[in-house]
Amino acid sequence: MKIEIKNLKKRFNENFVLKDISLTIEKNKSTIILGQSGCGKSVLIKTIYQLFKFDSGSILYEGKSEVDIDKFSMLFQYGALFDSLKISENIAFTDFINNKTNYERKVISLMHDVGLDKSIIDKHPSEISGGMKKRVALARALYKNPKVIFLDEPTTGLDPINSDKINELILKVITKKKITAVTITHDIKSAIKTGDHYYFIDRGIVQDKGDCKKILKTKNKIFKSFISGADIKQ
Amino acid sequence: MKFIENIGEVLISIFSNIGKFILFILFFFKYLFRPKFYLKNNIRYFISIFISSIPIIALTGIFSGMVLALQSYTGFSRFSAESAIPNIVVLTLTRELGPVLTGLMISARVGSSIAAEIATMRVTEQIDALKTLNTNYYNYLVTPRVLSLTLALPVFVTLVDFIGVMGGYIVSVHKLGFNDNLYLLNTIDFLSLNDYLSGIFKAFAFGFIISIVSCYCGLFSDKGAFGVGTATTNAVVISSILILSSNYFLTELFF
Repeated sequence: MKIEIKNLKKRFNENFVLKDISLTIEKNKSTIILGQSGCGKSVLIKTIYQLFKFDSGSILYEGKSEVDIDKFSMLFQYGALFDSLKISENIAFTDFINNKTNYERKVISLMHDVGLDKSIIDKHPSEISGGMKKRVALARALYKNPKVIFLDEPTTGLDPINSDKINELILKVITKKKITAVTITHDIKSAIKTGDHYYFIDRGIVQDKGDCKKILKTKNKIFKSFISGADIKQ
Repeated sequence: MKFIENIGEVLISIFSNIGKFILFILFFFKYLFRPKFYLKNNIRYFISIFISSIPIIALTGIFSGMVLALQSYTGFSRFSAESAIPNIVVLTLTRELGPVLTGLMISARVGSSIAAEIATMRVTEQIDALKTLNTNYYNYLVTPRVLSLTLALPVFVTLVDFIGVMGGYIVSVHKLGFNDNLYLLNTIDFLSLNDYLSGIFKAFAFGFIISIVSCYCGLFSDKGAFGVGTATTNAVVISSILILSSNYFLTELFF
């Protein structure tokens, strides 16, 4: 699904978080949103997802302003798994709360896709590691076969080895299932590895954009200083 | 000038919160009558608050009844009206102490837990996750808690009434030397259905107040651990104040 955002503005009270955002998310591509903490990246994807209303501008989904958000899915920064439910109930949440019972095979298949052993199916989120939680959250996001998946800092809180594994997993899954992906990150390595296009946001506007493979060749001064702050050798 | 600005800000904040709270209640009723009803979730929640609250309810009832009998004896014995103790114990418990004390105890036990749980869900983005999973949080989180507590509180009050009367009976018979049959007969004869029902009506109202306030405080909490703590405190304080103040108006209704 192609999503076009034009002159998007969003404020909380008097504070404009998104001042003027225009960008295009291409169908079946991986778009990376880069920026410092607090620059409005999460607000942007939640606005695209229609979790927030925006003040002005437009968001067009395949050319239309209305969209069925059931086509979307999101992987939250810290997983946002439901503590009181088992892993299987978390992954198949919508079927579970609607009293459907035949979801176990699909859950096991998704667990296999994201590299989880089925032995944890009856455990609760508090009983598994951070890396496993991310995988469970990814499986939950994939459960409803989304057309677009939003990934909010998927490698936050993980060690470098697990970060690499999650990046590889995301790349594998979105390629295999032909999903449009929008990823928020401030990890340049992840952006280069998993993205097609990038947008760099600073102070509520898009400061730079381009091909992820050419991130390190950017001429934008603010983005350059962001990259050097991220400790990436050019 | 700054002082007046500050007062203005506080007043705006208070009225905007009242407005938000009223809207929250209206939305609750909107989704209650147009429900996607998660029956399993509702039943599970009802059972969980019921089981977790029984010990507190039993202790509240027994000690209230025992103290009430002792204190009544202290006063009534001064003008030889000890025989009125069973009547006073049952009347005070069913009409007043039963619903109010149960409301306050449940607000501390269940209200705080509702607010803390929902506020934590908000802080950890679980509420956003519900939205992304096409699940209305009124139906999934608010309705089960409000319905369960509104229906459970009358049951709790009935238990407190019964256990409280038994507490009064134990003290009166074994410590104050009352005749056991006479005590029970006096209690049953004096109690009218209206006394009991006025307490039950209050219980429904208090159950609704505790649950709706706690859900609101949780859902609109600030971020972080401080936000969760504040939401929990607010839930208990606001519920308790509303219980005590609405109790007067409900008592006047049944006066």
